[in-house]
This record gives sequence, C-alpha cells and structure tokens, in this order.
Amino acid sequence: MRRSWRAFALATVSILLFSACSTSGGTPSPAGTSASPAGSAASSPAESTAPAFDPMSVSGTVVLSGWQASGEEGTALQKTLDAFKAKYPNIKLDYQPIATDYPTAMAAKFSAGEPPDLFYVDSSVAPDWIDQGVLEELDTMAAERGFDTSQFFEGYLNAFKGTDGKTYGFPKDGNTLAMAYNTDLLTAAGIEPPTTWDELKTAAEKLTTGGKKAFCLNHSLDRALAFIDQDGGSLLSDDKTTNTVDSPEVRDALTTYLGFFKNQQGARAGDLGDDWCGKALGEQQVAIIFEGGWVDPYMKQNYPDVKYAWAEMPQGKQKATLGFTVSYSIGVDSVNKDPAWVLLTYLTGPEGMKIWTEGGVANPSRKDVPPAAGKEVLVKGAEYAKPWSFIPGFSKINDAFNNAMTAQIEAKSDDPGPVVDATKAALDDALGQ
Amino acid sequence: MTAGTASRGVRGERRAEMLTGYALVAIPLLLYATLFFGAMLYAAYISLWRWGLRGPRNFLGFGNYEDILSDPIFWKAVTNTIYYVAIWVPLTMALGLFLAVIVNQKLRGQTFFRAAFYFPTLASSAAITVVWLFLLQPDGLFNGIRGAIGLNPVFEALGFPPNHNWLGSSRTAMNSIIILNAWTTSGTVMLFYLTFLQTIGKEVYEAAAIDGAGAWQTFRRITFPLLRPAHFFVGTLLLIGGLKLFDQAIIAGGRGGEPNNSLTTIVLFIYRAAITDNEFGFAAAVGLVLFVLIFTLTLIQRRLFGQEPSW
Repeated sequence: MRRSWRAFALATVSILLFSACSTSGGTPSPAGTSASPAGSAASSPAESTAPAFDPMSVSGTVVLSGWQASGEEGTALQKTLDAFKAKYPNIKLDYQPIATDYPTAMAAKFSAGEPPDLFYVDSSVAPDWIDQGVLEELDTMAAERGFDTSQFFEGYLNAFKGTDGKTYGFPKDGNTLAMAYNTDLLTAAGIEPPTTWDELKTAAEKLTTGGKKAFCLNHSLDRALAFIDQDGGSLLSDDKTTNTVDSPEVRDALTTYLGFFKNQQGARAGDLGDDWCGKALGEQQVAIIFEGGWVDPYMKQNYPDVKYAWAEMPQGKQKATLGFTVSYSIGVDSVNKDPAWVLLTYLTGPEGMKIWTEGGVANPSRKDVPPAAGKEVLVKGAEYAKPWSFIPGFSKINDAFNNAMTAQIEAKSDDPGPVVDATKAALDDALGQ
Repeated sequence: MTAGTASRGVRGERRAEMLTGYALVAIPLLLYATLFFGAMLYAAYISLWRWGLRGPRNFLGFGNYEDILSDPIFWKAVTNTIYYVAIWVPLTMALGLFLAVIVNQKLRGQTFFRAAFYFPTLASSAAITVVWLFLLQPDGLFNGIRGAIGLNPVFEALGFPPNHNWLGSSRTAMNSIIILNAWTTSGTVMLFYLTFLQTIGKEVYEAAAIDGAGAWQTFRRITFPLLRPAHFFVGTLLLIGGLKLFDQAIIAGGRGGEPNNSLTTIVLFIYRAAITDNEFGFAAAVGLVLFVLIFTLTLIQRRLFGQEPSW
C-alpha cells in the first residue's frame, strides 16, 4: 500500500519535473535566460525543435548559494568565480552565501518555491532532497548539451543519484577518510603505519603507552562505516532496497571497533577533552586518527610543529573508505536554469575545478584534475570510496546507530548486538516508507 | 460606571465608545488571529498530511499521530522533557525563592546582591551554554577545581572518574543542563518573588512576632502560604518554559540530542522532524501534541496552586 503511494508520488513529481522543464525551455523568461535561437541551424535533425546549446550566448543572472567553512574557502571560490566572469561576461553572478544553518535556510527557500539557481547539496541530504522533488534532474541536459560526466569518480557521482538512477547534482569536490598518523610517535614505537587490520591491532597495543592512546575514534557511523566496509559488511544492498546490516561481517567489524574502546586503546575526542579528533592529533594525545583532508588546514593553523603524515585506511578483507562530497545542483523551482547550467558545468568541469582545488581547501572529484601535493592519498581513496549518501530518511538510521554506539562505549562493551538491532530497526522503518 | 437612567444620549455615547474600542484593537487582534490562530489551524491541517518541502504529498488522516505514538524516540523525548520539568521547575523555584527572601532582608549591599543574582539571566542563553560546555569539559574548570580541593573521592564514590565528561555521558548530560538553567533562571524567579514578597503587609509579620514565631516558622506559616499566587504564576511560567526546552539542548547535544538522545527534548524532536527529515506534517502533529500536553499540565497546576490560600 505504502509503496503504491510512493509510486504515485514519484509519478506526480516526475510529471511536475517534465512540465517544469518544458516551460523553461519553451518560453523565453523575462531575464533572457533562454538560449539564443541563432544556433538553431546547427541543430541535428533529431532535435529539430531544440536549438543547439551555446554557453557563450547565454545571458542573465545566476544566484549561487552555499555555505563557507573558512576564509580560505571564500578566497578560493572567489578566484574561481572571477575566472568564470572573465570567460562568460554575459552572465551576471549573484553570490549569496548562507551563513546560518544551511539545511534550515534551504528548507525555507524550497518551501517558498524560491531556491537559488545553483547551490551546494551535501551528499548526506541528497537522497532526501531528491525524494522531496526539489532538485532538477541533470542527465537530460548533460546529454543534450554535451557535458561529459565520465571523468567524475564514480563514488562521488553516485552520491547524487536518485532511486530512479538519474543524477541530481555534480560533485564539486570530494574528500575521503584516511589515516593521519603522528610520525614521531610511530617511530618511537618502532612501527610502520598499519596497512592491514592485523597490523592495526598490533599498532593499537604498541601505541597505547602511559597517558597516550593509540587512536582517537568517533562513535559515529560516518567513521565506523569505513571499518564495516573494510570487513565486507554494509548497511544496504547495492540497489539500496534491502537491509543488510545484520551480517557476521558487520558484527565482526563492530566488535573490533568497539574493542578498541573497551581495551582503552581508543577514545572519543570528548573523553580526551577535545572537540574533535584533529585536536587530539595536534595535542599529541593519540598517534593515529581517521579523518579527511579537513585536518590539514586545521593542523597548519593550530599545530604547525606537530609532524604527521597520511596513509590509506588499513585494509580488512578489502580496501574501503568513505567518500564525502558536495554537489552543485539546480532547483526544480530555480528561475535561471540556463545560466545556472553554464556555471554548474564550469565549476564541476576540469577548468573551474582546477582553479577551485588549487585554492588548497578541497580535493578534485574528477580524475582529469590532478591532486595537489600532499593530497595524493586522499584523492587515491576516491577510486574505491563509497559515498556518504544512502536513502531518504537516513538521518534517523544515523541517529539510531550513533546512539546505540554511545551506549555500548559508555558500557565498555564490545557486543555489537544492540547496535545492529537498533540500526536494523531504523533501516526497516526507512525502507518501509 | 453605572448609568442610572438609560437615556438615548448615554446609550449612543456608550455605543460610540464601544466602537472606538473595537476599532482600536481591531488591527492587533486581526494580526494576532492570523499569525497565532491562523498558524495553529494551518498546522492542524498540515498534520493530517505527509507534507514535504514542496507541500502536501499524500493525505494520511491521523497517520502522523499514530506514527508519533509508536515512535520510541518521541517517548524518549517526552520522558526527557518531563524529567527536566519535574526537577528543574521545583529546583529553580526553591532557588529563586531562597534568593528573594535573602535579598528582601535589610542587608548591607542589598542592591549589589540583587543585581548579582539577576546577572546570569542577562547573558544570552547560547553564550552561557557554550561557557558551561567549556567549564564541564573533561579537562575543564569544574573537574580541575573538584580535584584541587580534594572532592574527587566523593565523586569517585558516586561513580564519576576524575575526568568525567559531564555533558558527553548520557547519565549526567541532562542533569548538567538542569543545573545550568536553574542557575540562569533563578534570577528572574527571584525578581518575581521579590515583587510578591513586598505586597505582604508588615502587620502580618508583626502579629507573628508578637505571637513569638521564629524565622523558620514565620517563613513556613506566613511567607510561603501568602506567596501562593506567586507560586502559581512562577510555576506556570517555568512549566511552559521547561516544556519548550530547546536552545541549551541543541547547543550541548547537537541535532541528535547526543549522547544517546539524552538531550532530545520534544521541541528538538520537532525541529529534527521538520528540518532534518523534512517531515513537516509529522512535525506539526508533534507540535499539536505538545500543545495539548502544555495545556493539560497547566490546568492541573491551576487546580493545585490556583485557589486562594486557605488556612
């Protein structure tokens, strides 16, 4: 019964989508956003009604929104946008960063039917927003207008695919989890950075000495899932329709992960008196943390003298890590879709992404943009990273897992049972909707 | 004013006066009706739907309400909120009354103490919560001081290690917030009690003094019962405020009300349903449930404290 409703909702949404597309393509909007008809002679006979798309002839204003994590990010983006303006002088850019809680602000804009023309979408909320029907489907435009998406790392691109298999955003950059280790502490313990789980367990013993712990670990799914993946476990089947969390692989991985807490070899940042694991690395309270590229600017600013290096995540039964990415997406209700498309393809294309990632705050999500020096490990992880993007209603699953983990860590238990049960129940709930 | 003779002129005058009165309140009343009752009715309408970012998705009838009742996290939120209210309201009232009685005495530096006790109320709740977070860190000032003055054995006996993470442990997170809010709100409560205290006539106390009542007896038999209207007023205010606990919870525990939902309050639950999950219909339904809860509890409280003192 619920499924049929959902199918109905989907059908309704897709009808809305199509009608929205056809109106924006058919009638010239007052802002002059439609493509110039001058190129119609060049169009192929199959698409005789649609004029060929020439980005240079697009004019109008595009409202761009996103959040800004740091001043460096603002500088890097401004540089990229300046380059865009120089290349497309006909398009006027109106950059409106959102300073407050981003999802809240965007929810208000979507509800009012007035989203920006192009905006950030975090991979974790992408399934929800796609399901809500607020994002424009991009495959059709990419095919008609010739935008090559094959160079994106698959794990990043898949984060923005809906249950219908269509793409609703192109990744603007990406980050993976890797292992940041204190080189001095590892040398002192006489070990190399662990590459397998066995080596990791040995390292845990050797690096836990005196007041120091081997690892700063997060209780949360956005770290633990990397270890579950490494052991061959998963939350959902590949088509995201079946609950696969109750498996020996997941239980085994969680036992190992919780074991680090139980054996006092790992601790949460809060228990070390830190607000996050990056600080624990900087304060040299631990030897190893599992984080992403966001550690680098933080360490450079706060702990320039602490020596650390990156290594790939240790391998369990397989190589695995998590990919975090953010897309640029166009809203279904966005007004200026054509200039938005030009900006979208510039920013996620090789040219714009090169300028953006050279700013030093982000890593490329494309294979044809080379990583910056020191970021090789993090970009290499993108080849096998699984996206941090699941199904609509995922936040409840995330909460269920995290809360159950907190309870187990506080109880100093390595029994994965309650965590698996809570996650399984939440997954079933979300899948049933 | 009573009109003895209902003459035509007086009646017309009254009517004109009445009309002027209504005209004067018409605009604010209209605004109030639209923004308050209108929004409430709209929320009731939304609560019957599965309502997403782009509006209604499908009609559920009372489906959202059924989902609420079967949601374990909702019950956790209700339990947390009621626990908070049950401890925080009496604690804050007691603290506020205590401070009020103290600063009501003829003390040297009375004005200073009144200002000092009221001071925490002036700080923004967000700022003071962040300061509280710092103080209660595992390596924060609170743990440092209790270690320095040798209180650790006492805490150890109660099961708290020297570097206990007060807000990071599900056992102590809510209690930490209760103490914080009792401290910051007691200043306001003191102010209310002080106002009521000054309405109690001197003659009652003089009579008590003649009868030979001590300080405690005077407080118990005279001050406390005579403050009954104050108890009702302060209690209602705190009860409603307590049931709407949100900012301290989200600042200390994030959207998830961490750790382990121990800081998930009803309003935080609503926020999460609307903003994180985009389930606006569900969120509106929880909002109405909260309304009913506040309404019922206020009625009960009125029964308990609302009557005239009888002794």
